[in-house]
Amino acid sequence: MTGDIPRRLWRSVFRVGWPRTREARLRAMLSSLVLHVHPTRVRAHVLRPSYTLGLGLVSFYLFVVLTVTGLALMLYYVPHPDKAYRSMKDIEYAVTFGMFLRNAHRWAAHGMVAVVFLHMCRVFFTGAYKPPRELNWAVGVLLLLLTLALSFTGYLLPWDQLAYWAITVGTAIVAYFPGLGPQVRYLLLGGYEIGAAALLRFYVLHCLVLPLAMALLVALHFWRVRKDGGLSAPPERLHRRVLAWPHLVFRELLVLVLVLVAVHAAALLFNAPLEEIADATRTPNPAKAPWYFLGLQELVHYGAILGGVVVPTGLVLALLALPYVDTHPRGVGVWFARERRTANAVFAVVALAVVAVTVVGTFFRGPNWAWVWPW
Amino acid sequence: MNPTAHRPGGAALPEKADSRRRLVVVTGTAGLVAGALGLLGALARSVVPDVLYEPPRRFPVGRPQDFPPASVTLVAERRVFVFNTPEGFYAISAVCTHLGCNVNHEEGKGFACPCHGSAFGEDGGVRKGPAAWPLPRFAMSLSRRGELIVDARRTVGPSFRLKA
Repeated sequence: MTGDIPRRLWRSVFRVGWPRTREARLRAMLSSLVLHVHPTRVRAHVLRPSYTLGLGLVSFYLFVVLTVTGLALMLYYVPHPDKAYRSMKDIEYAVTFGMFLRNAHRWAAHGMVAVVFLHMCRVFFTGAYKPPRELNWAVGVLLLLLTLALSFTGYLLPWDQLAYWAITVGTAIVAYFPGLGPQVRYLLLGGYEIGAAALLRFYVLHCLVLPLAMALLVALHFWRVRKDGGLSAPPERLHRRVLAWPHLVFRELLVLVLVLVAVHAAALLFNAPLEEIADATRTPNPAKAPWYFLGLQELVHYGAILGGVVVPTGLVLALLALPYVDTHPRGVGVWFARERRTANAVFAVVALAVVAVTVVGTFFRGPNWAWVWPW
Repeated sequence: MNPTAHRPGGAALPEKADSRRRLVVVTGTAGLVAGALGLLGALARSVVPDVLYEPPRRFPVGRPQDFPPASVTLVAERRVFVFNTPEGFYAISAVCTHLGCNVNHEEGKGFACPCHGSAFGEDGGVRKGPAAWPLPRFAMSLSRRGELIVDARRTVGPSFRLKA
């Protein structure tokens, strides 16, 4: 009897053996907490890599990588101005694999900002935000904003010159918002200056509040995908379905492998930057916000209200309103549908403009924000 | 929906029970709202700090004789310039009004921001954007111990001078 226990233990966790029959494959999807997020059968259309490019999945995997590496960093990082920078040095030089974990965290974070943006572009260009997916598009916009907020709050934590002045510039942009701006900055910093209170607030936001909000909204995002009938597809392809096991499950695992390989490669090849310790009396020239806000900083250079208020607020409101305004049901499920030429052209111009000002702010602006060549 | 619809047997509730149910619903809802608002209100208020553990915004910068006549001195750790002129003292902020970088002073030329190229005249007025506002001037006073005090909470006009 006792020899039976390991087998019973195994069978109590994995209720269905390796599924070989069609029925077992359907049951496998239903009997596992992880797998049952998926339906038992999925549209063949959405499994083609060229349709989704796997961008939403990659965003999610990067979030998981960030959670795991972030937990490891939290064991050594101390969120106080007297100790933060030294604990960063400890992580880099006195913790085994500390440098590697920090690199992985940093590059996965940058990658996530880029991939979430690209995911939004994919959803737009395939018309996947149209009814009944309006709410999920809006949730996606919030997830993009959360991704930016997570990245921005994490940017201060190393407490080096790069961090300090990027947050100085970033929170100064916040203060341009008429009426509420200065108060929001005061709340964010817990005072008027970037000091101990600001560091602790950014730390709590970065490690607890924002990841929790992200996890909840990601759950809502996934749930809505199921409730809206799975990923979008053109009408004539809505009904051709294949079994989720193995067609979906193993494609997802393949994407996971690719993401993990990419994160490892980036973390082994490139070290995350760490400059000298933060010094409020010495401003580096030029002082730049994190790269994903350099487009804003470039616009703020031309006009504070334009760059700090009108453009970012306008963009976010336009994105949120989009699926409620554009309800024309044609052209869903294919890239660059002919019926959507105008919408796609407008979005492409805006997206390229965002990329262009970001590139200008990142590579073409030097000391005193004068033009420089990046080479 | 008719509140009596789910009663077993389908019999209508007596009037007394119906008003009791309404009382429970009303007080329950009120309690829920009040309870949630209490916690959330306390949370919302508590994140606005009342005490700041940062350098005071009203601070001494030194004694008048520490500043040579007709000079401009940067008090770096306070991010403020102190001007000593024959007419008296005044203080100009060293924090660029554009995005918060520290400006540099060049004798006779005014202030220049290294970050985004804003330039300010010797009086703190904007000479060249992107900054939209002049560098603020802070109120100054003399403490009883004879020290110059700068109050960064109070801005003053260009005619302000402290005789010391």
